Amino acid sequence: MLEIKNLKASINERDILKGLNITIKPGELHAIMGPNGSGKSTLANVLSGKNGYKISGELKYKGENLIEIPVDERAQKGIFLAFQYPTEIPGVNTNNFLKTSLNKIRKARGEKEVDTLSFLKIIKEKSIELGIDEKILSRQLNVGFSGGEKKKNEILQMKILDPNLTILDETDSGLDIDALKTIANGVNSSRDKKKSFLVITHYQRLLNYINPDFVHVLSDGKIVRSGRMELAEELEKTGYKKIN
Amino acid sequence: MLENFKINLKEIDKIKKISRDEKEFRIKNLNYFNKVGFPDKKIEDWKFSDLKGIIYKNFDKLNIKNINSKFKNVDLINDFDHNYITLVNGELNDINFKFEEKKNLKIKSFYNDNFLDRIQDNPLINLNHALSKNGYLLEVEENYRFKKVLVIYNLFTENLRDNILNSRNKIKIGKNSELHTIDLVINKSKHKFINNVYEDIILDNNAVFKNICIQNEKSEGYFHKFSKNTLASKSKYSSFIFPSGLKFNKFDLEFNLEGEESECNLQAASFLGKNDHQEIKTRINHFAPNCKSYQRVKNVLNSDGKGVYQGKIFVKDIAQKTNAYQLSKAMLLSDDSEFDSKPELEIYADDVKCSHGSTSGSIDEDSIYYLMTRGLNRKESVKLLVNGFLNEVIEMIKSNTMRKFVKSKLERHVHGY
Repeated sequence: MLEIKNLKASINERDILKGLNITIKPGELHAIMGPNGSGKSTLANVLSGKNGYKISGELKYKGENLIEIPVDERAQKGIFLAFQYPTEIPGVNTNNFLKTSLNKIRKARGEKEVDTLSFLKIIKEKSIELGIDEKILSRQLNVGFSGGEKKKNEILQMKILDPNLTILDETDSGLDIDALKTIANGVNSSRDKKKSFLVITHYQRLLNYINPDFVHVLSDGKIVRSGRMELAEELEKTGYKKIN
Repeated sequence: MLENFKINLKEIDKIKKISRDEKEFRIKNLNYFNKVGFPDKKIEDWKFSDLKGIIYKNFDKLNIKNINSKFKNVDLINDFDHNYITLVNGELNDINFKFEEKKNLKIKSFYNDNFLDRIQDNPLINLNHALSKNGYLLEVEENYRFKKVLVIYNLFTENLRDNILNSRNKIKIGKNSELHTIDLVINKSKHKFINNVYEDIILDNNAVFKNICIQNEKSEGYFHKFSKNTLASKSKYSSFIFPSGLKFNKFDLEFNLEGEESECNLQAASFLGKNDHQEIKTRINHFAPNCKSYQRVKNVLNSDGKGVYQGKIFVKDIAQKTNAYQLSKAMLLSDDSEFDSKPELEIYADDVKCSHGSTSGSIDEDSIYYLMTRGLNRKESVKLLVNGFLNEVIEMIKSNTMRKFVKSKLERHVHGY
């Protein structure tokens, strides 16, 4: 699904990713943990195609080189980024935006666009599944949403857009236990043999609910250790300092 | 015809059936206009809109002859029931108040009975006072609430060419009465012309007036409107303006809060593009205590579009407990676009709440990025953000029907982006 080899990324002459390697196969869920400033969010941004980074190395998605592909096309190809800080967009109705987004992605996949009625049905179904109050969807996109509502909205979008590769950028930060479970349920119920996940997190907490196949430690722009769930447990006890 | 854009006094002789007072009033105003001419940027109120330069650049001549404005069929709005009047090049043409009790209102072509106005310091008002023959006068009796909205269709005809239209409108709303209007421009014109309107709106105690002004049709017209609004005690005035952007488009709006506890609410949203120059200038005079005023002006500027907002709040010494708010926000989509903002507060009372804010900046790249990660391309993302930015004003319209109507009219406008 995703192959990253010797990935380097810099912004404003500052090197952030310094030769990162990771391979994610279909159906796998990988967790990346690491201290502040280690390059976790940069990795998420680079995977989604955000402008402003100088990039070298290999970045392949389903065998295709991603580097030259713009943000929207990556989304259309099935890459989804759940933001650490979802952007507030005043004046834009959440439902309308979601429908536009879904139809763009369906069109790219060669599927028929959905009309308002079927869209509302999908929304209802997914909201109930996730235990999200539909009312937030008639509000302006992320405007005045609580931290939890914003993150839940990201997971709802993931559910609706049904991506192949989902990147969760610290989606668990700042959430209470209930919201955390909602997020975990959202991820767990989406997992199948074909879909892959890259979960960026600071804490073991979320991983307890979603059982990653692999855990990596990112430090100073490189993966310094990889392992299974036990690695996350170890980190929780010892902290990042010992790992280096 | 104008020579050097000065107007011969003989033009006033051509206006028939006027009293001596009226003639003197017109002559006095014409002399003033001829002395000063079209305003240029040396005048503070016009520092961002050099009308003289604009007129000299775009017009070789001006035609002040009255244009023959025969009745034209107007495509009426089908979305909702409404009363209407039709103005053809400013002249009152058709009247239909089928939803109202006729005894409670008076409508006629405008005539002026007030010649005591001091000489204004806006030459375009002088020009209007000197030459205006067209327009309407609408009076609503006391204790009458209009059952349906009144749509004012402003039609500009195909045969306009270098004309300068001067019209004068007046609306008087009696005690405890309520009127809602929509001003809608319907443009059939093909050539350049100037439309210069003077408007007088008077709200008696406890009266309510709500207005939506939509100029969604582009034209070669150069528009100037001065609007003087007087609010008596506990009256409420709300105005939404959606100007289209033209080569020149200036709204000069004065609100006089003369009665206690009167309120005015002014909101505007515009998308300005190539060759557009638009100014909204307001002056809110808080003359009495316990009044409220609220202003919000939003502009999106694309290409070499230019927008201006000059907003002044004046609070007289006796106007304690004034609550005045003013906000201007501009979104610039191009390096060639320009937005000028001049907020002003002049306060002589000591127990007031007055606030103002003005921001202008380019579109938020993080928002574009967020939308693009959801599969929208850059252009679609920008369009969604622009619509969202302007929607914030449209969303403040309370009536569902009106809000939908305005949206449908305006989305076409941004569509071209």
